Amino acid sequence: MNYLRLLFVFFRVNVLGEMAYRANFFIQLFQSMVELVTALLGLAVVFSYTNTLGGWNPNEVLALVGVYFLVGGLIGLVVQPAMGKLIESVRDGTLDFTLAKPEDAQLLVSIQRVEIWKLIDIVLGFGVLTTALVRLGEHVGGWEALSFTVMLLAGVVIIYSFWLILAALSFWFVRVENILEIFQSVYEAGRWPISLYPGWMRFALTFIIPIAFVTTVPAEALTGRLTVETLAGAVVLAGVLFALSRAVWRVGLRQYSGTSA
Amino acid sequence: MNNLWDLYLQQFKTTFASMVQYRASLVIWMISHVLEPLVYLIVWSTVSLTGGGSVGDYTTRQFAGYFLVLMLVNHVTYTWIMYEFEYRVREGMFSVALLKPVHPIHSDIADNISSKLITLPMMIVVAVGLGFMFHPVIAPPVWALASAIPALVLAFMVRFLLEWTLAQSAFWTTRVGAINQIYFVLVLFLSGQIAPLTLFPKFVQIIAGVLPFRWMIGFPVELLLGRLSPEQAWAGIGAQLVWLLVGYALFRIVWRAGVRIYSAVGA
Amino acid sequence: MSSNAIHIENLQKIYVVSERESGVRAAFQSLFHRRTSEVRAVDGISFNVDPGEIVGFLGPNGAGKTTTLKMLSGLLHPTTGDASVLGFVPSRRERAFLRQITLVMGQRNELYWDIPPLDSFELNRAVYRIPTADYRRMLDELTDLLNLQELLHKPVRNLSLGERMKCEIAAALLHTPQVVFLDEPTIGLDVTMQRRIRSFIAEYNKRFGATVLLTSHYMADVEALCKRVIVIHHGKLLFDGDLSRLVQKFTAHKTIIVQLEQPDADLSSYGELVSHDESHYTLRVPKSETAHITERLLADLPIIDLLVEDPPIEEVIEQVFAQEGA
Repeated sequence: MNYLRLLFVFFRVNVLGEMAYRANFFIQLFQSMVELVTALLGLAVVFSYTNTLGGWNPNEVLALVGVYFLVGGLIGLVVQPAMGKLIESVRDGTLDFTLAKPEDAQLLVSIQRVEIWKLIDIVLGFGVLTTALVRLGEHVGGWEALSFTVMLLAGVVIIYSFWLILAALSFWFVRVENILEIFQSVYEAGRWPISLYPGWMRFALTFIIPIAFVTTVPAEALTGRLTVETLAGAVVLAGVLFALSRAVWRVGLRQYSGTSA
Repeated sequence: MNNLWDLYLQQFKTTFASMVQYRASLVIWMISHVLEPLVYLIVWSTVSLTGGGSVGDYTTRQFAGYFLVLMLVNHVTYTWIMYEFEYRVREGMFSVALLKPVHPIHSDIADNISSKLITLPMMIVVAVGLGFMFHPVIAPPVWALASAIPALVLAFMVRFLLEWTLAQSAFWTTRVGAINQIYFVLVLFLSGQIAPLTLFPKFVQIIAGVLPFRWMIGFPVELLLGRLSPEQAWAGIGAQLVWLLVGYALFRIVWRAGVRIYSAVGA
Repeated sequence: MSSNAIHIENLQKIYVVSERESGVRAAFQSLFHRRTSEVRAVDGISFNVDPGEIVGFLGPNGAGKTTTLKMLSGLLHPTTGDASVLGFVPSRRERAFLRQITLVMGQRNELYWDIPPLDSFELNRAVYRIPTADYRRMLDELTDLLNLQELLHKPVRNLSLGERMKCEIAAALLHTPQVVFLDEPTIGLDVTMQRRIRSFIAEYNKRFGATVLLTSHYMADVEALCKRVIVIHHGKLLFDGDLSRLVQKFTAHKTIIVQLEQPDADLSSYGELVSHDESHYTLRVPKSETAHITERLLADLPIIDLLVEDPPIEEVIEQVFAQEGA
């Protein structure tokens, strides 16, 4: 498939570029480990005083932390760099180069930049997740694994669409990159089960900045507390947002091409 | 002294005038300053509720009080100078500062304070709003409230000096991000931002007492909550003064060394 | 000695840079053995400047001009040698010293981007402790000389490059410094603006008796402002003296511009034909033979007009650098 070929090509170019900065590997490794240790220590302190947090036992929350890092790594690997670059290229007009290429522009802008060393986060997250699952024992079966994968994919699609819509705002507004920074700050709230938060926060974290769908929901899938409604809801939302983001992208593109000389 | 006052006044005016451009960053800044303590507030309240209404020496409502006060104290003492410094050294903007017959720290202090003059009122509003939601218990005796003012001022000065000195690592290395990160983690744990320090094992509390982090943030919070005896309050102020002196000494030494390095290599 | 505004003796600035070839093996080797080499940015220069002089620094990129200015303003520590400005040692960066000098660099910006220049000026007033009356007076004079009336209240980001440069220069002079270091002050500006800045510098020097040290790529800057020129190349001082003497010393040629009636004459026997524009011919001839060739031309050809000139200074400078570079 053409898309896959393009994906591979872009990935390769980015990786080659990054390999020149070998130091960045160690920097990212250091940073990720420090973040992970911080999160785990925080967990340790909390669970030294209790055995359950909002109905979640320590290993389930550990699994959540694993998902948090895993997804954070995924977002940081592909979504964030590409969207950041998109906003830049709208601002300085280099988007024109992308538009002149004979491929779908949305695809191109979505894969144009990769932060290769975020793979470390993915690996670390995976490690934590596996550890948590092992400790949870026999509770993880085929259905859990499957629904987890589906929820993870749905979550990533939701976040990607969300970011694309935000990035597309730069077709109309100027200082959009700040909004992306807000996401970073808010994402931190995803380290704990969403069920802990009061209603208005849960709502905000589900529908305004959809963090719940990439952290708590996939973790719920793994720990067997995923309801069918949530599963269906996530999938539907993913589809809707994806379609919406594509529509916004198209409109924005028309706006951009109309005004650029 | 007159001149210094004049300088600060002018710097205030300049920061205010420029601030319109930085609304967005201010909002982001405030969001993270609200969200982090809020998340821990909720987490610890949950633990407390399922644990019979208290954890250690904090009841559920006292947790609310702790984290809301922490929110404000952290905001008041916060600095962002580490990020700026690296940028300045890299872009060679230091040359402009070094040509001036005043120490560059003054404009940074003024910039910091003037930004907070705008953001603090908003933070207070948010904290009060959250207070209505979480019903905190905050009942300090009057003397504690009064002594909290010098404690806050000292906390700010200690934090600012230490972080400004730390920021100068940009003169020696480009890996400032890594250094900053370690520092932030230490602050996070040892200043009482993840949990009140009394909830940590004894040895951690001792370390936190020896290091400056508790005196930068945790101590004024505990004071404002009325959780300290007068003797402890005095001891705390004393610790702050000690760290102020240490901080100032470090600041002067590192600055002189930093300028020498910068002047050896230039911009 | 102490009557000099600026006194430099054997000033040196040596950088140590590490070298490394590309490739994995070299990277590995560099972990154990750092190969270094020396870059002599400034290699033993000496000169004195009297108060009130305007001195031009000429030299190609990397010659050591900016490095010298930075050492004189205290931004850079010399490796060896002495420097003294207004009796101060620049690298000590004493407050009293900093209050009397200023350094204007092309790319450096000290004006705050989002606010009108006037607000940044006020900040400088506080920084340099300028008494209010002096500040007002200086501001008025600078506004007058540089035509800043319209610009003072507009945010800096709304100003054009030339307007911004004028404001940056004004900001740098509010405290009436006695020594002014200008590093490529007209770079990137259009011709009109360059001319205005030049005339401003001359005026400032005249009114306040300030010592001015100016580096530039543009010969026009130096020609217009400086009687005295210092040429630096590879960190060494090649020439220090009058501009006209520079030409005399370093050039072996003169230029003869001849205007003839015939459009297509062959003048190759008289000298090297540099350019030909309809009836104007530009010849390059050895200096010693100028008189002789001029005689021949006047005798042999129907000349409408004849002009003997020094070659353009750019050429001279190029020659100087070419000589030293070899």
